[in-house]
Parts: sequence; structure tokens; C-alpha cells
Amino acid sequence: MLLQVDNLKTHLCAGKNIVKAVDGVSFSIDKGEIFCLVGESGSGKSITALSVIQLIPKDICSHPDGRIAFRCGDLDGRGEREMLDMLTVSEALKRKVCGARIAMIFQEPMTSLNPVFTVGDQIIEVLQIHWPEMDDTEARRRAIAALAQVQIPDPEMRIDEFPHRLSGGQRQRVMIAMAMACEPDLLIADEPTTALDVTVQAEILRLMKELQARKGMSILFITHDFGVVAKMADRVAVMRKGKIVEEGTLQQVLHQPKHDYTKQLLAALPENLKRQRDLQLVESPSPAAASPETESAQPPLIDVHQLEVYFPVKKGLFRRTVDHVKAVDGVDLKIPKGQLLALVGESGCGKTTLGRAILRLVDSTAGSIAFNQQEITQLQRKAMIPFRRDMQIIFQDPMSSLNPRMTIVGTLIEPMAVHGIGESKEERIEIARKILERVQLDGDHLWRYPHEFSGGQRQRIGLARALVLNPKFIVCDEVTSALDVSVQAEVLQLLMELRAEKALTLLFITHDISVVEYVSDEMAVMHSGKVVERGPTADICRNPQQEYTQNLLSAVPRLVL
Amino acid sequence: MNNSTSESLSVDELKSSQAANRSYAAQVLCEAFTQWGARFGLFWIAVLATVAVFAPFLANSHPLLLSEGSVVSSPLLQYLTAGDFVMLSLFFTIVVLIFLNIRFYKKVVVLFVTGSITAIIAFMLVSPPQLTVYDQYRVKQAAGAYEWIIHAPIPYSPKDYIRDEGDTGLEAPLASEERTHWFGTEENGSDVLSRMIHASRIALGIGFVATGIAMLIGIIMGGLMGFFSGIVDMIGMRLMEIFEAVPTLFLLLTFIAFFERSLYMMMVIIGVTSWPGYARFVRAEFLRLRQQEFVQAATACGLPLRSILFRHMLPNGIAPILVAASFGVASAILAEATLSFLGLGLVDDPSWGQMLNQAVQSSTFNWWMALFPGGAIFLTVFAYNLMGESLRDAIDPNLKKSAG
Repeated sequence: MLLQVDNLKTHLCAGKNIVKAVDGVSFSIDKGEIFCLVGESGSGKSITALSVIQLIPKDICSHPDGRIAFRCGDLDGRGEREMLDMLTVSEALKRKVCGARIAMIFQEPMTSLNPVFTVGDQIIEVLQIHWPEMDDTEARRRAIAALAQVQIPDPEMRIDEFPHRLSGGQRQRVMIAMAMACEPDLLIADEPTTALDVTVQAEILRLMKELQARKGMSILFITHDFGVVAKMADRVAVMRKGKIVEEGTLQQVLHQPKHDYTKQLLAALPENLKRQRDLQLVESPSPAAASPETESAQPPLIDVHQLEVYFPVKKGLFRRTVDHVKAVDGVDLKIPKGQLLALVGESGCGKTTLGRAILRLVDSTAGSIAFNQQEITQLQRKAMIPFRRDMQIIFQDPMSSLNPRMTIVGTLIEPMAVHGIGESKEERIEIARKILERVQLDGDHLWRYPHEFSGGQRQRIGLARALVLNPKFIVCDEVTSALDVSVQAEVLQLLMELRAEKALTLLFITHDISVVEYVSDEMAVMHSGKVVERGPTADICRNPQQEYTQNLLSAVPRLVL
Repeated sequence: MNNSTSESLSVDELKSSQAANRSYAAQVLCEAFTQWGARFGLFWIAVLATVAVFAPFLANSHPLLLSEGSVVSSPLLQYLTAGDFVMLSLFFTIVVLIFLNIRFYKKVVVLFVTGSITAIIAFMLVSPPQLTVYDQYRVKQAAGAYEWIIHAPIPYSPKDYIRDEGDTGLEAPLASEERTHWFGTEENGSDVLSRMIHASRIALGIGFVATGIAMLIGIIMGGLMGFFSGIVDMIGMRLMEIFEAVPTLFLLLTFIAFFERSLYMMMVIIGVTSWPGYARFVRAEFLRLRQQEFVQAATACGLPLRSILFRHMLPNGIAPILVAASFGVASAILAEATLSFLGLGLVDDPSWGQMLNQAVQSSTFNWWMALFPGGAIFLTVFAYNLMGESLRDAIDPNLKKSAG
């Protein structure tokens, strides 16, 4: 038994409110074991981890109850082996334990390294703090070894690089190297791959698993992604509202879930949604299967030809253009009426820029965009207004996609007024109310401000805003990436219903292959500004032709059901 | 609707549910003014504003009411200037508007309309007598000509010079038996407290008007630069750099040397030279907001530019400008005090800086003439800075997160 957490309670105080972030959690981690804590946002999984390593500021948190016993081997080289209670341990001892015996990796690799020090300095500092007798050459040698261990190419050179010269995946490797430098007994990884692309994620996960097996350390792995859980975990605990609702081995939890909440979560996974839908389709054969054949006869609603969007890199007093970033580099794309095309790609591949360029939110450098066979590439702002009504967009971030200073009703009726929908304000409010009810929100929510809603509700409001104008075409830009799985399932189902009901044409931009498999018939894969592969979703997923697509698909952590 | 699965325990959500039914502005103000510093600042500014508006009623040699030969008259009202009337009417409109539940921009419109109407009426109709003999009331009262008389709380006008008591009018606070001068008198024998009360109008006025001019130019310039970026931004930035290179104090000195000394000119010059600071804030905010998804959504809905700029972007970017403005008011007050201290302020009207100047010019050190106006300048600037600081803290999302 390496770590034993008994009935841990962590209460956070914000002003006069007390939030029971962790409410009686008990679990234990053995030596050499990977223990996964899974849960949706706000379930208290991160706070549990931070409590174990005692990183929450004392003035905002309190532990009314509980015990965190950690078997701390070999402090000060005296070889003592005692159980420390992390909640009552002294500050000085805690500092020795943290970093040396318990290390932590955070979610955001971009901000967890200090930008003004080289990566080598940061690793060497950790080493020398915990082993003050270590001299500089020895520390440097060990830092290089640590970097080599996490498979950074040319560690001798890379050790003197500043963090901004490294990619996100490399930074996360450096973080792991730093955490592993002192060879801890327990590594806490708080969503270490959430901010990374799938291919990078796959590498990092493989690396962590390898290192764990080699060093025989334990990992407390926190994630929301069941695919990652399936890849990593020995044992799993599912958290909800500060409590562990189910705990067991990977097999037990994923394949014979006992608790309703676990079942609910698993059922909400896009893989399962697809399976359910396929089952339904088999039961009631519908004419939907016939639709792909008719598409060639129809003229495309959106016709993008050789589209290029370059962003100039400007320098100097008079901002001369010195270089270009080729965000979209010669893309041809046709979307027939009524089709849902999924655009898949990793971050920075230009998929978002392409979506915005089609709506003329970003000016294109070259190429042409036609909507309903009308050329819109060069239209001026005023001339675009009639087209705006037919082309809408829904965004990724539910926080920033609604104006925080406007009530929902203001957000919804203003576009209607501009486009002359509805005779009077009362009529527009009535339309807005109906649409809000259509996206499964309460009509009275009209009078509220965006901050009063949860992420999923805001995403529905974003959907409602796109729908008030009764558009023909909607760009869905990573609409579910910021949502929890259960909410994602609700939003996706709603979107599919609306699509069928209003005969919408959708460009569905996402990085999540499992979502693509659920929603789309056609998909296009983008890589560094170009569409590398396009075709029916089922074909591409089963039998990808291009090397890039093959890598991408094999990197996706899958849950075998 | 069943949304139980998306329920969450995070602190943010709890905060937002607690703050339900309140707009962002109300939240920020509420948060800012729970701190004692901001409360003190607001209290001091409120006191100062009230004193400034009612200055003629608080400190005036003309009696409020008197009865002479059973005819009741109010010399004070007769001697009120058009400016006094406008100030009073604006003050009461603001008080009424605060309690009226209408939209903010309507309030601004109402305020503007009443202000301009009263200004026109007052300047056409009100004409106080040109010649004022302050001593007449004291002489007549001593002779027993009035049946009864009600004086203002401080029965001395700022320019009521009482010289005939000796070779200098200087008098320490409460030094004389027959007259009560709470803060003493200056060298011409006029009451220091009365002068300070009337000078508070200049202090507040120059602060608000100069900052108002700077904010107006700054918001328009910064907004255009931030939204259009590109060549507009480039030209705007260079223009800002030119204006930032102009030393305000020396420009003021030059203008005063060439033209007459005028309060309005000072306001305009301070305003015109200090807008780049605000423009920078607005530009940065607009550059950030332009990328925000709700602005993109507004563009995608085909909303007109006017609406995107002023309805969607400006309200979300105004908070940091208000913070800068509260510091700006403080520095405008200081600039005026500096000028007056150098003897380059207004000739006739009292101002705090000019009173400090009088304190140094006298052959003896008259502590009351340095302490009280100096204290007033200090307190006012301090109050604005306190408010600015707590407003800044209230809008800083990082501070909020660290508390969660």
C-alpha cells in the first residue's frame, strides 16, 4: 500500500460559501499501479489530487475530516519507511516529500513551464533542491538523462532551449522529465493529455506507461476520457459530486458497471450513441440509406474552390509583411444540400479558419467560395448581409460565444430585427421563446444573462441563436469539445434531430473521431492547411488510404465495447 | 428539462447562481464597493460633490433670508449665478434618475436634455447684480435694521475681503472673538473654509471634464484602431505616440503665457493631451474582443457595424477604461493644483492649489493655509485612487479565480 486515502473531505470557501468539493473519498493505490480517477467537470477529481499533494492554498480550503497516508520511502537517505499523514505533516517535511516522492504533471503544458528559464535550468533546480549535495555537472548529466528518458531528440542540445521553442507535446515530455527527475514513488497526472492532439496524446500515454513499468512507480491518473482510461488504468474510480460512486478494476467498471451513473456515462459516449443508433436503424429500416446516391444529382450548397487563407506575419514600425502563415492552403470542398460533412484535423491544421473563411468571417487570400451557386468571395460587408441569414455558426467555447452583458432575449432578437423576421418586438420575442423551447430550454430563460447558465445550456443557446434566422447552412466549430460526455451526448442528439427536422446542411468541425463516426456520413481530413483525404466516414474509419489518416486513426484511444 | 448530469459543484457555478439576476456591472460595482477603501473614496467624493453643488448656500456673505421693515427677501437667491442654477438642476435630476428604473442610456439622454434646457433658460433669465457690497449686511445688522436674519452656515463669501482689521488680513483659525473663521483667513482677510468650499467646484469640474474629453477621444480612436486594425491601427498608434510626446504641463504654461487664463482652456488641454492612455486601453480591449466568439457570431448574424461596436464590444471593454478614468481624474486635479501653485491658475477664483501658493508667499508660515487645502487635495486624489484600485481588483478575473 503506497497511498491510502480515508474518508477525505476537502471544503473550499469562496467568500461565505463553502463548497464540498471532495466529500468523503476513500481509495488506495498500491505500488506500481495506475489508478484512474474519472469524472465530469466539477466532480472534484482534481481537488482530490491537489489535496493528496497539498497544493491548495490553506486559506481557501479546509479538511474537516479524513486521512491521507503516504508511505514515504527513503527521505534524507536514511532509508526510513513511515506512513506520513499528508494532512498533518509539517510544512518543511511536506516540501521534501512533494517533488521528491510525489510529483505532479498538469494539464496545460503551455503554461506549466516558466518561460524565462531554459528547460535544463528548471529540471536542475528540482534536482538540486532535493539533493543539495549534488554538483552542477552531475545535475546536468542527470537532467540530460531525464530528457533522454522521455525521448526528447538531442537532449544535450535541447537542455538549453527555452520552453517556447518546444511544441506542446515536447513541453509535456519535459514536464514528465521534471516530475520523474527525482524518481518519485507516486506520480499524479492531472489530465496530462487533454490539451494535446490525439497523435501526441498517444505518444505521451505510451511513454508514461513505459516509464511506469520500468521504474515501478504508481500513477494517480485523472481524466475525463474513457478512451484514455481504457488504455492506461489498472484500477478505476468514478467520481461524481465529490464522492466516488464506483471503484473496481478496469474490466469491472467498463464492462460490468454497477452504479447507474457509470452506466449513464458509458451510454453517453459517442461510440455507444452510434451503436444505439445503428441498432435502431436495423430495427426500423428507413429510407435514410438512400440519400447518398441522390447527392451527385444535386448542385452543392457550398462550393469552395482552391481556397487559400494566409495570415501575414508583420514586423517593424510600418508593419511590413515579412512572411505568411498558410492556415488554409488550397482547399476544394463541396457540400451538397442536406449533407453533414465532418472536417477532422489536429489543432493548427486550419479547420477552424476554413470554417470561418466560408462564412466570410476571415478574408480569404485566393480562391473562391460559392453559396448556392452564388459567388460570395469578394462581396462587401453590406452585400454579404442577405447571405448572413442563410449561413450561421456555432462555436466551441460556451463561455465566450455569448455576449456576457446582454440578456438571452437581446442576443436572440437582434439578428431577427436586422433581417426583418417578425413584425414587432413582441412577435420576435415569441419566436425566440419557441426556438429556446425547441432546444430544450425554458422559455423564461430569455430574461437571464449568459453567466447564469451551465456550459451545456449555453451551447444550446448558441444553437438557438444560429437557428433564429432559419439558416440553410451551419458551421459547427468544435461544438462539443468543451462539454462533458453526458452533456455532449444531449447536445449531439439535439443537433441531429434539428438537422433532420429543418433539412440543415452542416459543416461539422471537430478533432474527435468518435463524434465524427456518430454524426457524419461524409468526412474530410485536414492536415497543415490541406484536405488530405475525403470520403464516406465508414470507409475512411475502416480503411484509411493516406498515411496521415492512418496515424491519426490509430492514435485515437478507443474503448472496446 | 433534465439537466441533472451537467450539474456541477465548481465554485464558479456556485458564484454565478448566487449572483443570479444581476448584471455584470452591478456585480462589479457591488464587489468593488464592499471594500472599505472604495467606500471611503466614494463617501469623500459624494461629500465633495454635495458641497460643490450647494457651495453658495453653505458659504455666502449674502444672508439666506432676512426681514427688513417686515419685507422678507433672500439676497442669496438674488445673487445666484446662472452656473449655480445649472448645477443645482443637474444635481436634482441625477438624484431623481438614480431612483428611476429606466435604461442607462435613457438616463444619460434625460440628463443631457435637462442640463441643456436649464443652461439656456438660466443664461437668458438669470442676471445677478454686478456690484456686490458684502459689508452692507453686517453694517445694517449692527445698526439693527433687520427684524430677523438667517445667515449661511459660513457667513463669508470667498471674495469677501475684510482688510480693515489691521495691516494684514491673516488670522489663525478661531483667533478672533467677534468673527468665527473655522479655518482662519488668508492675507486679504477672506475666509479659508469658504474659499475651499467654492474651490471644490473647480477641482471636481476640471477632473470630470478633462477626463471626459480624454475618454471620449480615447474610446473613439481606440475603438476604431482596435476593430479595424491594419493601416488604421498603424496611423492611430503613430498619432498616439506623437500626442504622448507632448509635455502637458509645458503646453499649459505656453498657452497661459500666450492667451488668457481660463479654466476651460485648461480642461481642454489636459483632456486633449491625455487621451492616448485611454485609447491604448480601448484598443487592447477591442483587439481581444474582436477575436471573441460572440463578436464573430454577431458578424455572422449580419448585424450592422454600429451595433457590433457599441452594443456588443464597448460594454464588454469599458471596465478597464473606467479604472483608468478614476486615476485620470486624480491626475487632472493635481495638474490644476500644480498650475495654480505656480501662480498660473485662475486670477480671481479661489482654487486649492492657488491657496497653497498663498501659504508659501506670506512672510510667516501660516499652517492653516497649507494644511487645509493641501489636505483636501490629498484626500480627493487619494479617494479617486482608492476607487480606481478597487474597481481594478473587481474586474480582474485572475484575482477572482485565485480566491476560488
